[in-house]
Amino acid sequence: MRGLTVLAVSGQIALGLAATSAAWTPLRAQDRATIQKQTALGEALMARGRLDEAERAFTAAVRGSARDSLTARVKLGEIHWMRGERAVAMREFDHFIDVYNQRGTRLTSRELTAVGIACRYLGEDDPELFKDALKAFDEAIARDPTDLEPRILEAELFLDKYNSTDAQKTIADVLARNPSEPRALLALARRLANDGEPGAMDALRRALKADPDFVDAHVFMARIRLDAEDLKAATGAANRALAVDSAYGPALAMLAAARLLGNDSAGFADAERRALARNPHDGEFYATLGEVLARNRFYSRAAAFARQGVERDPKSWRARGLLGLNLLRTGMVADGRQELERAFAGDPYNVQIKNTLDLLDTFKDYTEVRAPHFVFMIERKDADLLALYLRDLATEAYDSLAARYGYRPADPVRVELYRSHADFSVRTMGLPGIGALGVSFGNVLAMDSPFGRKVGDFNWGSTFWHELAHAFTLGSSGHRVPRWFSEGLSVFEERRARPGWGARVTPDFLAAFKGGALPPPSRLNDGFTRPAYPQQVIHAYYEASLVCELIARDHGNQALVRMLRAYKDGSSTPEVFRSVLGTTPERFDAAFDKYVRERFGDRLAIVEPLLLRGDPSDASAAARAGDGKFASSMRDGIAALRSGRDDEATRRFQEAKAMFPEYTAGESAYWYLSQLALKRGDTTAAIAELKSIVSSNDTQYEAHLLLAKLLDSRHDTAGAARVLERAMYIAPGTAATHEQLATMYATLGDWPKAVRERRAVVALAPVDRAEAFYQLALALHRAGDDAGARHAVLQALEAAPDFERAQKLLLELHQGAPTGAGRVP
Amino acid sequence: MGVQTLAGVGLMRLALLPMMLGAVIAAQSGAPAQSPAAGSARAPRAPAPVTHVLIVAGVGGAPEYEQEFYESAMKMAEAARTASGVADSAITVLTERPERDSRRIAGRSTKTEVQRAIARIAKSARSGDVVFVLLIGHGSARDGHSLLNLPGPDMSAAEFARALKPLSTQRVAVVNTASASAEFIPVLSARHRAIITATSSVMERNATHFARHFVDAYSGNVADADKDGRLSLLEAYTYARREVARGYESGNQLQSEHAMLDDDGDGKGTAEPGAHTADGALASRLFLRESAVAANVVAGAGSSDPRVAALLHHKDSLDAKIDALRRRKASMDSTAYERALEALLVDLATTNRTLRQLTGGTP
Repeated sequence: MRGLTVLAVSGQIALGLAATSAAWTPLRAQDRATIQKQTALGEALMARGRLDEAERAFTAAVRGSARDSLTARVKLGEIHWMRGERAVAMREFDHFIDVYNQRGTRLTSRELTAVGIACRYLGEDDPELFKDALKAFDEAIARDPTDLEPRILEAELFLDKYNSTDAQKTIADVLARNPSEPRALLALARRLANDGEPGAMDALRRALKADPDFVDAHVFMARIRLDAEDLKAATGAANRALAVDSAYGPALAMLAAARLLGNDSAGFADAERRALARNPHDGEFYATLGEVLARNRFYSRAAAFARQGVERDPKSWRARGLLGLNLLRTGMVADGRQELERAFAGDPYNVQIKNTLDLLDTFKDYTEVRAPHFVFMIERKDADLLALYLRDLATEAYDSLAARYGYRPADPVRVELYRSHADFSVRTMGLPGIGALGVSFGNVLAMDSPFGRKVGDFNWGSTFWHELAHAFTLGSSGHRVPRWFSEGLSVFEERRARPGWGARVTPDFLAAFKGGALPPPSRLNDGFTRPAYPQQVIHAYYEASLVCELIARDHGNQALVRMLRAYKDGSSTPEVFRSVLGTTPERFDAAFDKYVRERFGDRLAIVEPLLLRGDPSDASAAARAGDGKFASSMRDGIAALRSGRDDEATRRFQEAKAMFPEYTAGESAYWYLSQLALKRGDTTAAIAELKSIVSSNDTQYEAHLLLAKLLDSRHDTAGAARVLERAMYIAPGTAATHEQLATMYATLGDWPKAVRERRAVVALAPVDRAEAFYQLALALHRAGDDAGARHAVLQALEAAPDFERAQKLLLELHQGAPTGAGRVP
Repeated sequence: MGVQTLAGVGLMRLALLPMMLGAVIAAQSGAPAQSPAAGSARAPRAPAPVTHVLIVAGVGGAPEYEQEFYESAMKMAEAARTASGVADSAITVLTERPERDSRRIAGRSTKTEVQRAIARIAKSARSGDVVFVLLIGHGSARDGHSLLNLPGPDMSAAEFARALKPLSTQRVAVVNTASASAEFIPVLSARHRAIITATSSVMERNATHFARHFVDAYSGNVADADKDGRLSLLEAYTYARREVARGYESGNQLQSEHAMLDDDGDGKGTAEPGAHTADGALASRLFLRESAVAANVVAGAGSSDPRVAALLHHKDSLDAKIDALRRRKASMDSTAYERALEALLVDLATTNRTLRQLTGGTP
């Protein structure tokens, strides 16, 4: 392996460029001054895409032994690379290893930068060279701390390798020296977008202001627009880049992607042809298409394009990595893993791929549970327990959604549950830190297991339902449903599945609405893809669900289905609104505004509006949103409660409840009122308050348990069982609750459910296994499953052979069995 | 296969039960057996072993901990008294504030009082008795040495070892549920001793949850895994250890305590001991009331009815076969295993039912 060594030993002969290549005989210097300008000329021409002319200029600089001939030579290599002349380019770049090893200590900052650039390309063949690139850039910076170029290149390399921390540090260094440096601003925009932080668009706009012809900034703008599903704006941005360099591959990839998403096959083919005309081996063109399509939820097509990229350029590790990731997203785990391993061998610095491979290594700790239409991948120790609930819930959800949407996803739908949120995050995007609870890739769903988060953090039943709804809306629309509509339908379906499931209105949502901080339905995708403040994504989910509710109210549920079909046929949102709803997005925006005002009128009156200023203060303003009369009543109530003024506390909480009856989250007015009622011995009132919480909230575990206990004490066993049944989708891991529910179902004579609960106790691996299996055997016996009962009682007696009650049951079963294994003669 | 009558073995069975308990302990631990020579049912019996219980609740440091330690100590004392039938006079409770229940609490849990209490037990305990010491509270480590935090000076593992030294012919269980308690195993380990610590390292210094679950094991009907109606030290340990892990897991927290048990005298703890492993064998036979007979061992030990003797002999044989079959489980086809198991278990259930009928128990 060739690479940069310790700097050259003194006294070694400096090699002139001309001497290293017989073909490059120095020109006669007609005009030394002209020669010295060739590199700058070449760079300007290259920036306009005039590669042939640029090549001539760089060649002149090299042949004329210009002072910056090393820069010219690395640029020549880059031109070959852009044309797909990989072997020639690599020969050029390889030369820089010798240059460094023999002249390292005497190279200028600019020359060391050229070495770094060459090493970065060489890294595509030998990833160890990426380290040498960093080394060269570091030395260039040390040689001339005022030279920003190596810092920018270093930041770009860090970004390429998903190292946000070091990238940010380097970007900050550059911007501290020049706040308007366009490439540093672009790097900043990329960093912010990669990390899901606000401000990317602002940085990008600043970059373009500093350099309106900055093609990479236009390309990145196109990417952001594509993420927001704004095809028109994306096309505009790509065309602005192409106006500067009409054959620029990344810009053509964006244009092609926009045309593809807009169902413009001819336009796509034209862009593809133009890209391949410059570089017939442009694997990156297809990799970019794959990436954009994956971000727009077309995972199978993303994999297909990534595969084309690999076929064009087998060393496009990005394309191969994308192929692997998207195969995984479509459920092809073994094939995906194989591609990822090959990609990782080619580029071991790709954090997404490394994380994903590490995750795949843990799959041995999971087991697959099969059910009609589904395969569940669950961590082995949780599988027996969770499958008990998932099977039934999945069947119910599948049948309900299939009937509603007139569509059935291809079998099986794969559902993966992760105990570690970081693992779920890696499965989703290759990196830890995702804020979501679940994700749907269509027929592959991944989500946090109920054991992956603290009790009360989320409801895993409603999360599953939400993600499965995506499988139906994505599938029935041919994956063309816009993000806002798919999310809105999923929340809407959660609410239809169970009372209290799905997002609810909150004071901060209404504050945002009142202050005009929410995008109207026609621009709702922005709330998901370019949130103006951190909570806007959460608000966008709820808003989207309200849009669906409004459509269902005014046009019927079938309108939602017809909209999905219209998207499948390639219609844009304005076309869908026109054809299905008979309105324009703008008119719909107005109708939605009226709907929200009518529906939440009195609650809107009590919140202070959230007014955005378009700066970092928005985040703190949003965090305070909703802090009005309602919040002050709650605060007063809590203060009164703490000081023992129960009557005053009750009045304040009643006030708060009347102001915002939907608010049941956390320690709500309902919760405090239930506690106050219990304190004065008024169980009936406590039950009423708790019922309000349970019927409109899917995460308040304590309220569920308390309500079940109170109902049970009132001999309302059926009511108590219903509440505990709901509680299992908040926290299924407490054996005592399963035992309680099993007893309730036994009282109600619902033996199948009693069996399920007894199985749950067994699945939780109690120390007293014998008792757990015995109780299961009893329930099975009562449910009429004597074969199952025999099996269970044998397991009880295997643990405790002299267990008298189990022995009695065994004999009873044995005597009742007509024939059977192990019957004693 | 039915119930077999084996004439001539009845007398052996009469002596067998107490003999077996003592003999097994003697064989594995070297403790003096308490039964007369096998085969002589008429030989005078030695007095049944007595269990001596010492419960120490250390200094709380904060009201909530003082309350928690106090409650655990009293709950354990109550469980020893009621569930296990240990005599009041054999239970000593020391807490930070004895005035909370001067009738049941013998004194303050200072080092001096702890040493005196152990000395009193050593003076009264006979050879073969069981001494059960439960330490509840905070622990700490100084220079790598475990300390139990008591009102006044703390007490080190070495000081406990010195105090326990006179108890060389008794079977001793020491359960230190405090944080940083790990060093109690190497320092206190000896033959006939079972040592349990809540932590596997002196670096595990966070307040522990082990005590609560350990006490729950004795006070509730939740940990008797073999359903023999009595709780072995091993069962209590296994329950507490599992519940501790479950608690951390359900709270989505990193577990900061890892309990260990040592009872083979090698000074090395085992996280998951078993009745048939080096660590765990003694603990599986240590009960708070040593003389208690397992509830599911069918009454009949005192019967002169030869049918009973034959049935008991047959039951022994079935027990051995079931045990042997369970050991072969991993190497067997699951259906064949279940068939064989069912045959033996049905036979055992039938045998036990007949025994109950013959001895006047509930069929």
